[in-house]
Amino acid sequence: MRAGPWLRIVGRNALRNRARALTSVFGIVVGIGFFVLFLASTEKIGAVLAKVFPLDEVEVVAPQATLLGADVSKRLDAHTVELIAARPEVVRAVPRMSLAFPATGDGNFEGQALSLKIDGSADGVDPAHVVGDPSLSPADRDYLDGLFQDWLDPARRGTPVACVPPPPGQRSSCPKPDRQYCDATTRTCEHRVPVVLSPAMLQLYNTQFAKANGTPLVDADFAKFMLARGGLERMRFTLQLGGGSTGRSRAVEAVLVGISAKAKPIGMTVPIQYIERWNREFVGDDAGKTFSSIVVTLAARDQVAVFSQWLRDGLDLRVEDSVGERLATVVLVMRVVLILIAGVILLISAVSIAHTFFMLVAERRRELGLMRAVGATRTQVRSIVLGEAVVLGVLGGVLGVGLSLALAALVDGVVGAYTPNFPFKPDTWTAFKPWMIGGGIAIGALFAMIGGYLPARRAARMEPATALSQD
Amino acid sequence: MASRTEAPAAAPLVVRARDVTKSYGKGPGRTQVLRGVSLDVAPGEFVALVGQSGSGKSTLLNIIGGLDHLDAGVVEVFGLDYRKASETAKATLRNQRIGFVFQAFNLLDSLTCLDNVILPASFRAGAAAGKAATDQGLEMLRRVGMADLARRRPSELSGGQKQRVAIARALFGGPELLLCDEPTGNLDSETGREVIEFFRELNQRDGVTLLIVTHERRVSSVAGRVVAMRDGAIVEAEGVEAAAHGDEAPPAEARA
Repeated sequence: MRAGPWLRIVGRNALRNRARALTSVFGIVVGIGFFVLFLASTEKIGAVLAKVFPLDEVEVVAPQATLLGADVSKRLDAHTVELIAARPEVVRAVPRMSLAFPATGDGNFEGQALSLKIDGSADGVDPAHVVGDPSLSPADRDYLDGLFQDWLDPARRGTPVACVPPPPGQRSSCPKPDRQYCDATTRTCEHRVPVVLSPAMLQLYNTQFAKANGTPLVDADFAKFMLARGGLERMRFTLQLGGGSTGRSRAVEAVLVGISAKAKPIGMTVPIQYIERWNREFVGDDAGKTFSSIVVTLAARDQVAVFSQWLRDGLDLRVEDSVGERLATVVLVMRVVLILIAGVILLISAVSIAHTFFMLVAERRRELGLMRAVGATRTQVRSIVLGEAVVLGVLGGVLGVGLSLALAALVDGVVGAYTPNFPFKPDTWTAFKPWMIGGGIAIGALFAMIGGYLPARRAARMEPATALSQD
Repeated sequence: MASRTEAPAAAPLVVRARDVTKSYGKGPGRTQVLRGVSLDVAPGEFVALVGQSGSGKSTLLNIIGGLDHLDAGVVEVFGLDYRKASETAKATLRNQRIGFVFQAFNLLDSLTCLDNVILPASFRAGAAAGKAATDQGLEMLRRVGMADLARRRPSELSGGQKQRVAIARALFGGPELLLCDEPTGNLDSETGREVIEFFRELNQRDGVTLLIVTHERRVSSVAGRVVAMRDGAIVEAEGVEAAAHGDEAPPAEARA
């Protein structure tokens, strides 16, 4: 049968009784509506989580162990990093080192005093790891590249310029006062210690601190934000290193230079060389060589198991249970459950379509019998009935996608208006992808086809003489 | 006018039925409708199939048209052996060489008259589509005097007009065999006469082979041959008159 006449007959049949057509596709509309909405919302939640907790990396840590009161924990050191980096499944192994002694931070931001206890919540990482983050915008990368470096590296530091620390509140006489400060201990002009914060910290600041203190919100587009506000002057603070049990202390100045997903989620991150020096200075040589963790990028996610096994057997180390991994599993389970619910709705709707089409075939016996009499084959009759189901299924799918978009807009509106700000609160709670819309319509058609299959078969098997003889 | 099961000429037969049996139902409720019927129809013949209600004439017509299955025996139409032919082959035969006219017209109210007429073209593989089919459909409607009402729906027509549209549909595609089941059964006598006259012309002028199940004396009087049936069998010549006209009421054909 050619497509033209088939489409004409099928289209005409589908539209013949609009009220019933709409009734019979109601289930498909609701099923597809929720199916697409569930897909889009879990997609969005997954995307938000992936942003907060990168999933392409695993973090290697040393389990804490004691034997007869002595600490026998494995140490993570440069050799461990080398061993891990040599593994075939490992793309990159980047060590992180936490500050091993107390520190506090004092600063002010837009006139509001900020005072922080830092301790272990500061860590260091290879600057290249931060600057090379592929999720950075080019502008932020350029901005970070020029600032997030080890400024005490002799090659970069050059010959130190001597200075006299100015009284509090006054500018130093250093050659680049916007970047440098006069270090009170060494009495030399030093570059401020560059600090990056995680997006989580930015969110905390924007949704809690800025709101409470009336300070401006910080754009995710950090470089643009900073440059628009005249550079680094306003984002600097003093780090008080040591104190307490260490018995000594000194101050350095630091400056916030960017927002990076590679930064410690709750805390701050500086180039690792600073932490190595400070740990050596305040705790000892070992502390300056012991990493807190090693961030390992694997070639493929399914190699996590192999890598973990090797790590446990070969090095007696383990992979930190990633929060992101666990949350991703939760999202996946949620997605499967929700899709199953939508699937049940769709199955029920297929049954309802089957019911409608059995009635329809019974009502149209005479017509179908006539088609057979004038030369329609069984296959053609079947394709006409099935085609009508598919047309209704596609219609239901389109309406269902429309319903899900409408529900999404409603949810966004209600949630936006009635819930307070919280970290990572997104503007929209759904992420619609073209494949969801196409897939929603296709699945609508598929379930309608499932519903139409048996009625279509019955229609095709009808004996034309019988069909024509009954009223 | 004579009653015989054999066709007159030696030309290839249009219909060849041998010892056809057919029953409906199962067990004690089983009804034997055809009990070994044999019938030949030669090209160009005009055969009237007469008999009382329940004599099996409509069943025989349906079997010849491939609308119903036979239990035993042989049916060949245009040489196609129905026992061996696929459903598709039979559908193609109906589509291209056989036209049907029913007592109940069987027009689709969702379609215009013209669309009803050209409906067979929808199921024709690779047939001239669109304008060609429309032109032919209009030509068929003109032949039955219904061209003016081509865009109307069947529900807007009188019984006679409906039957003429149905005849136009049966003639669409130029069938060689026309199978008619009580074509005048739902028509007043004047309209019935016109339809019968049309069939006679069709047979004599265009050489279309006609097999008509009927109660009407007028039909049997214009037919070249009258075949009478009683209780699922073809009766001998001397029984023709009684078999044909024993039941004067024109009822719908009952099966059992």
